[in-house]
Amino acid sequence: MIGSAPGAPAVVRPARPRLPAAPLLAPALGVALALVPVAAPGNITVLNLGFFTFLYVAQGLAWNILGGFAGYVSFGYAAFFGLGAYTTALLWLGGWTPVLTFPVGGLVAAVFSLIVGVPTLRLVGPYFSIATIGVGEAMRILMLNLDRITGGASGLNLPTAVPSKAWFYTAALLMAAVAYAAATWIRGSRFGLGLAALRMDLEAAETLGVRTALFKNVAHMISAFLVGVCGGLFATYFQYLHPDTVFSFTESISLVLIALIGGLGTIWGPILGAAVFYAVQDYLQTSYPTFHLLAYGILLIVILLFEPRGLAGLAARIWGHYRPGAPPIAAAPAAPGAFGPPAVPVPGETGSHVPAPDGPGPVPGSTA
Amino acid sequence: MFTAQNLISLCITSILTAGLYAVMSYGLAIIYGVMKVVNLSNAGFLMLGAFMTMVYSQVLHLDPVAGAFLNMPLFFAAGWLVYVTLVRRVRQALPIASLLMLFGLWLVLQNLALTVWGSDDQSIITRYTYKALPLFDYRIALTRLIVFAVAVAVMAVLQILLNHTYIGKALRATVQDPQAALLAGIDTERISGYAFGLGTAFAGFAGGLMTLLFSFTPDFGGPFQLKSFTIIVLGGLENLAGVTVGAAILAFAESFAVLFMRASLQNVIAYALLVVALIVMPGGVTSLFGRRS
Repeated sequence: MIGSAPGAPAVVRPARPRLPAAPLLAPALGVALALVPVAAPGNITVLNLGFFTFLYVAQGLAWNILGGFAGYVSFGYAAFFGLGAYTTALLWLGGWTPVLTFPVGGLVAAVFSLIVGVPTLRLVGPYFSIATIGVGEAMRILMLNLDRITGGASGLNLPTAVPSKAWFYTAALLMAAVAYAAATWIRGSRFGLGLAALRMDLEAAETLGVRTALFKNVAHMISAFLVGVCGGLFATYFQYLHPDTVFSFTESISLVLIALIGGLGTIWGPILGAAVFYAVQDYLQTSYPTFHLLAYGILLIVILLFEPRGLAGLAARIWGHYRPGAPPIAAAPAAPGAFGPPAVPVPGETGSHVPAPDGPGPVPGSTA
Repeated sequence: MFTAQNLISLCITSILTAGLYAVMSYGLAIIYGVMKVVNLSNAGFLMLGAFMTMVYSQVLHLDPVAGAFLNMPLFFAAGWLVYVTLVRRVRQALPIASLLMLFGLWLVLQNLALTVWGSDDQSIITRYTYKALPLFDYRIALTRLIVFAVAVAVMAVLQILLNHTYIGKALRATVQDPQAALLAGIDTERISGYAFGLGTAFAGFAGGLMTLLFSFTPDFGGPFQLKSFTIIVLGGLENLAGVTVGAAILAFAESFAVLFMRASLQNVIAYALLVVALIVMPGGVTSLFGRRS
């Protein structure tokens, strides 16, 4: 992760508390999870749970490349997911093997992300977010109306000859592993440092020679590609597509929520976030279908108020607290979080009513 | 298709729609203008305004227009509370933090409404819902006319308040330059609270008026939210008078697009305009002519 980047000076990114033995944890976890279909090949519930969780993990990690590393929060990823899904569906109906269509779907999504990204990534902060809501919703409505291609409001039925649940489980796990590898590599590379730099200060990064427009668009394309492939996998699994499911705003915000609640800009955040997100959704879906979004809305607000680094930040803080000889817990919020305020207080923003000098509110046990 | 009668009738529709669009976007513009916060929860409050109006009409047998007015003080209080408890605490962080927080609030409001009222379409039928007013050769739906008249009247009153009261002037000063306003002794923090309350009050009011025209579900606010963004971006974001211009542009564009494309693609116009306007003219339409000193 960070430590593996030889030329990475500590200036750019403050040292964050990390989970124990993080570099080894992920491969070990991956191998253990890969053994599940071997151990319990007939347990459809577990295999389905795994499939959806891994699909969310992969997408959350992919979203985080642009949204977390570069700080461009997009509400429009359903467009990439849907494009990937429909590319796979149409090629599959045209006689292709589904597996071969996945990269094509990813490419279609990546090309679309470039077309959208070149103009919209020039916008900063909230303006980019709003523009992506517009793009995502416009795509959904367009797809609903292109009924000759997408089947429109009646949807598209796909062939029913599909691999086993165990195959899907493994494919989704593989996808999550690829996304993990991509995110980890990007984070430690010069490219990732460039993204971090432009997130912190766009103009300063540009002055220092970071090709910000190129970096943003490449990050956008990589994450769109991964999400597009996930869309293809989803289409193969479901064997039925409807523009309102794959292009839905809910799909877009799921990715935002997964990354934010897990921990924006971290590797483990989207993984934790996706696991919790799908578990909660699955648990509440049957009895209270809307409760998981309600719960997530509340969680999002609480996290923004108290722990902007999400569940990963919380985990790191708890780990730091219980590690022998660790500094007391109150030290954590002083580190600039994902939304940390600028180092220099902005004049004109009266701080008199803000309880603590920096974003996160009072922490239980803080003595400051 | 392009008969004079059709065109005139489309113009009338556009003007009536523009009134509604303006009142629904005003709150967003005030909040953005004063504190540069993009209020994604506006959609939630629009929706809540509609449902509250339904509750008044069921329980108190209150007319939707009266319900919309009743929403104003309640939503003002709610908005002020949201500012004090949530928004104020993340204003120092990056702008995206407040956007995400208000997005979380929207999710909460929307899904609370889903658990309380379910996902069925709701509507309020009044005695005058299906009435139309004949005007020369045209017939105008009475509800649309009422919504337009009330919206314009309320915005006119607001304009007077903004121009002639201390708080109104302080609010406009904060929109123009928060630092200078602070230097002039304006408590911009307090003004921000009022602005958030006022913006939310407008959302509740517009939501109430909309029950006269549309059926609604807890998902109701989303498309209108995006249209509101289009309008304030077209209007120039910090320019309160620009809201009217933006609303008129969007209403005309939507109405006339129906002549050329499927009606179901109407919303795409708004979203495309939003993206184009954000990229091409961040200063809004009004910045294109004049003021180039």
